[in-house]
Amino acid sequence: MAAGKKLTKEEELLLQDFSRNVTTKSSALFYGNAFIVSAIPIWLYWRIHQMDLFQSAVVFGVMTLVCTWLIAFAYKNVKFVLKHKVALQREDAVSREVMKKLSDADSKKMSRKEKDERILWKKNEVADYEATTFSIFYNNALFLFLVIVASFFILRSLNPTVNYVLSVGLAGGLLALFSTGSQ
Amino acid sequence: MASWMKMIALFSLVLLFFCSSNAQSCVGPTVEATSFTSTDANLAMETTFLVEFTLTCKNAAKDLVLHADIGDRQFPVSRSADGIHYQVSWTEEHKEAPAGSYDIRFFDDEGFSALRKAQRSDQDVSAVSSLFTITVHHRGVSQGPWVSSPTVAAISAFAVWLFAYRAKRQIQD
Repeated sequence: MAAGKKLTKEEELLLQDFSRNVTTKSSALFYGNAFIVSAIPIWLYWRIHQMDLFQSAVVFGVMTLVCTWLIAFAYKNVKFVLKHKVALQREDAVSREVMKKLSDADSKKMSRKEKDERILWKKNEVADYEATTFSIFYNNALFLFLVIVASFFILRSLNPTVNYVLSVGLAGGLLALFSTGSQ
Repeated sequence: MASWMKMIALFSLVLLFFCSSNAQSCVGPTVEATSFTSTDANLAMETTFLVEFTLTCKNAAKDLVLHADIGDRQFPVSRSADGIHYQVSWTEEHKEAPAGSYDIRFFDDEGFSALRKAQRSDQDVSAVSSLFTITVHHRGVSQGPWVSSPTVAAISAFAVWLFAYRAKRQIQD
């Protein structure tokens, strides 16, 4: 593309469709969710592994923040992989829905390009929403499963602080690693 | 001299009275018993049995020396200061003490020596009559739940993840 040439609305939408960047709203949703999920193991180590909440506050705080970043990273990656697939699956249904919503008068007035743009925009919105929510669900399930297995089975013989740091770090790390795969 | 003899005879009679009162036997015993048996196999190496009872006799006999017979072993029964509360306890290997009812036979000194005599001469010990019998019910020991809670949590978490994974595959294919 020649430098300085302004992008059309359709091109911008397409770019947004294929970019890894997430909207501010999505980002807030990701970081908010990631924070809650990475704080859940604190309860486990406080009540079950009998760690002191105040004495271990620094460890809890640091690991929760590290994990929040790792989980949000995994959310973004999984969402990116899923978004196109969801868009492909929902394409027909979305275009049907959009066409149905347009009244006959509107339909006649609109150019073919405008209709396509509208369908593309709607498709993007639907796929974005579905991929975001599914990515959050999938990663939360995997993270909590990994934490339980690591803390109760793999690292059970270690002292609670080491167990917490390793199991939460390991679960977050593995989550981020798995999310980079395309499958 | 004659008065000395009288004094000694009197003293002997008094002594005999006290001796006989110590070794008096219980007539028509009424027993109120409570018992406890341990049920945790993880915390304790052996099952503990504990029997406490209050014994009242029709002839108001107190401070009796009692012995408990649990079948293969005999134990002395301890007695409280007031002379009517008694307690006996023992332990048994977990596998030797299955759940069920255990009849504990109690003997006074006289009965106990008859029991020992029967044991020595290989006679039927159940034929020796006991003072009274207390039945202890043991619920058996438990090894804790079959599946630990972390396993349940891990299996549930795995099931949720599996569901999510299959849904992901479905979207991607």
